[in-house]
Amino acid sequence: MRMIRLIAMREYAENVKTKGFWAGILLFPLILVGVFFFQTMLAESTPTRHYLLIDQSGQYGEAVDAAIRQEQQRRILQAFVTYVLEYRREANPEQTPARANAQIDQLIDDVGADEVAALDQWLESGGLNFALALATPYLREDAPAFTPPREQFVLAPLPEGINTQGDPEQIIQQLRPWLSGERSLIVDGKSSSLFALILIPAHVDEAIIHPGASSPAPNATGNGIQYWASNLTDTRLPNAIERSINSTIRNNEFIERGVDVQVVRNVQRTRMPLSRLDPRKDEGQEAVSVADTFRQWAPVGFVYLMFISLMQSVQYLLSNTIEEKSNRIIEVLLASVTPLELMMGKLFGIGLSGITTIAAWLLSFFLFIALYPGTETELISQFFKVLLSSDLIPYFIFYFLAGYALYAGIFLAIGSLCNTLKEAQSLMMPMMMILIVPLVTMTFIAQDPNGPIARIMSWIPLFTPFTMMNRAAAEPPMVDVIGTTIVLLLSIALVLWLSGKIFRQGVLRTGQPPRVVEILRMLGHKH
Amino acid sequence: MQEHVLELNGVSKHYGKFTAVDNISFAIPTGSIYGFLGPNGAGKTTTIRMILDILKPDTGSINILGESCALNVRHRIGYLPEEKGLYKKMRVWAIISYFATLKGMDKKTAKSRAFELLERYGLKDYAEAKVESLSKGMGQKVQVLSAVAHRPELVILDEPFSGLDPVNQEVLEQLIQDMAKEGQTVIFSTHIMQHAERLCDRMLLIAKGQKIFDGTLADAHSIIPRLVTLECQGDISAVMKSTDILGAIERFPDGASRTAGSRHWELQIKEQADPQQILQCCFENNIALTRFDYTQPSLHDVFVHLVGSEAREHSLR
Repeated sequence: MRMIRLIAMREYAENVKTKGFWAGILLFPLILVGVFFFQTMLAESTPTRHYLLIDQSGQYGEAVDAAIRQEQQRRILQAFVTYVLEYRREANPEQTPARANAQIDQLIDDVGADEVAALDQWLESGGLNFALALATPYLREDAPAFTPPREQFVLAPLPEGINTQGDPEQIIQQLRPWLSGERSLIVDGKSSSLFALILIPAHVDEAIIHPGASSPAPNATGNGIQYWASNLTDTRLPNAIERSINSTIRNNEFIERGVDVQVVRNVQRTRMPLSRLDPRKDEGQEAVSVADTFRQWAPVGFVYLMFISLMQSVQYLLSNTIEEKSNRIIEVLLASVTPLELMMGKLFGIGLSGITTIAAWLLSFFLFIALYPGTETELISQFFKVLLSSDLIPYFIFYFLAGYALYAGIFLAIGSLCNTLKEAQSLMMPMMMILIVPLVTMTFIAQDPNGPIARIMSWIPLFTPFTMMNRAAAEPPMVDVIGTTIVLLLSIALVLWLSGKIFRQGVLRTGQPPRVVEILRMLGHKH
Repeated sequence: MQEHVLELNGVSKHYGKFTAVDNISFAIPTGSIYGFLGPNGAGKTTTIRMILDILKPDTGSINILGESCALNVRHRIGYLPEEKGLYKKMRVWAIISYFATLKGMDKKTAKSRAFELLERYGLKDYAEAKVESLSKGMGQKVQVLSAVAHRPELVILDEPFSGLDPVNQEVLEQLIQDMAKEGQTVIFSTHIMQHAERLCDRMLLIAKGQKIFDGTLADAHSIIPRLVTLECQGDISAVMKSTDILGAIERFPDGASRTAGSRHWELQIKEQADPQQILQCCFENNIALTRFDYTQPSLHDVFVHLVGSEAREHSLR
């Protein structure tokens, strides 16, 4: 035991000193901070986009304007909801419709349930000014003033000398230098590139598609409204315009057919609330909250954490064993300790550094939440409360250790057979393929945690730690929990025993990695 | 204390059809410096690995420090393998101390022992350096120190001199002699005969896995006959009457080294014979010598004599 401890301590101490270890530990909090801060930064730094509007029909220009105003209002609404959630006196994201009484709660809830309807409501009741007046009494004293997001889409004046009443094809020809970015627009004395051109031809109404009626065959540029933009990824503007114009056309149609538009609006906003209830919970508490959803999905996070940590640890085990082998240190070690002691020492030492990494990650997570209060972190702290109150943590600890022992045994054996990492690669391939499987099935198993595939996979020892972790929140049948645990523990014992055999013989091998037959012979070897 | 620290009886090891070690038996007396000689591929390293229980012999038995298995007494053995390697990222003192703790020393003693050894053998300034910053020779010295830091009763060094410059070779010889003075038994393998000649009390010579010679330096010297070379005009029959001479062969070397008209003889003389007597005998019989040569055969000659043809054959293969 003393030897195992000495070897484990050395492995741990040396591992902790490597740059890779610290990179692994620091990467996670860095990504965390990055995601939170850069997201806000990116959202704020999107440049103002200038568009041109040529409305030959004279009917829909207003609709396009409205669409853009509405898009801006939608962003203000979202920003406002986030702002209110963050600075309200008693933030409680677990609010359910039944308990909502203040209008402000209604607004938050509407945004969550049906954004379009909420936006209508928002505009109707007076938009930001009204909402601010409504919310101010409920805000904390230290809340900063609300700054609405910048306008993103701004109408630019047409460049001089463009005949807006000409043939659409000619207009496009004339504007091509701006569309391709060769020339810039001058807006308020500053030059800016053209983001999009919206061209509404004079006879656009002929292109309206009516259900049942035969529609005219489209030409190359389409019969309807032309949206010209070289940026294909930012679809907010075309989507908003399409929505807004369609809504205008439909309104016109309603009026034409003598239907009261206000009635239609009201009908469209009619909705039936749906409450999600969980029969497993106490009476009166059955409503499914955000926390419950978290609890259901948390195992997926753990499976992922397990996968990353295992990958890191076994890779290190492998390269470390190969280093000792290629440096011939192994021979000195074997004159002092038995191969089994060496193997177990490595297993414990590197396992310990894997645990250190995970602990550091969790710690940085907690610190981050403690130091950066906000809406998102509020949710995360909720998530942690759920985790700590459930039995997922003990599950994770057990399955992490079991999975580590199982895979570490296999990778140590592989390491002992190879002299270079390159040689190890071919032996590692099948193991990597196997390790990927639980990652691929992760989401599927979370959705159907007690289904046949989940149950079958649970009984395959190489997948047991991942799959059972994946199912942990869904209360799998006792047979599965106990049975797979027994199979898993037996497999670990078997793998470590067989790996010990290979390791003993493999570590002193030189030359080419062995063929399968030789590995089998090693397994049968009696020491 | 037992008479022999190590005894091998009929030990063999095969790798498939290849016989690495073939029925070797020998015993090493306590407190001696024992040389393990043989050409490349003779089976030295395999034998050492079997002694250390890293490999299992196919047949035969090994008794080491009174035990049948080295694992039981591994704390009393120090081992330097043939191919040297150290953890590159560790500090020099830490690696010596680590290996000493693996041999059962407690951490504090191991650390002070590491510094003591580094100072005594000229590596004091490198104690805090990382192993990767050392030259190959220095690294090897560190490895030797880490093999012996725990004051083992039996030290086994596989090719300890290879890769060391002459100065460091002397330091290492000193270290081996220091250990012997303290009553430790040292076994080392080498194919540089000068080291064996200077250091060894006894030696074992193996080739192709078989034992060829086992004995003292004097025993080794007696294996090849001592030669006196004579060059003279005329006959040497008068000298041949001496009882010290076992036989004579006339050689016909190439012209350049030969004085015109002279004859060239090689005389084999008895082990106890005094070459001076033969020289005197020549004068007494008025033999006009143009050359008289007497050289003590070196261990190198013995080695080449015993395994020469095989070794050459091996190296050409």
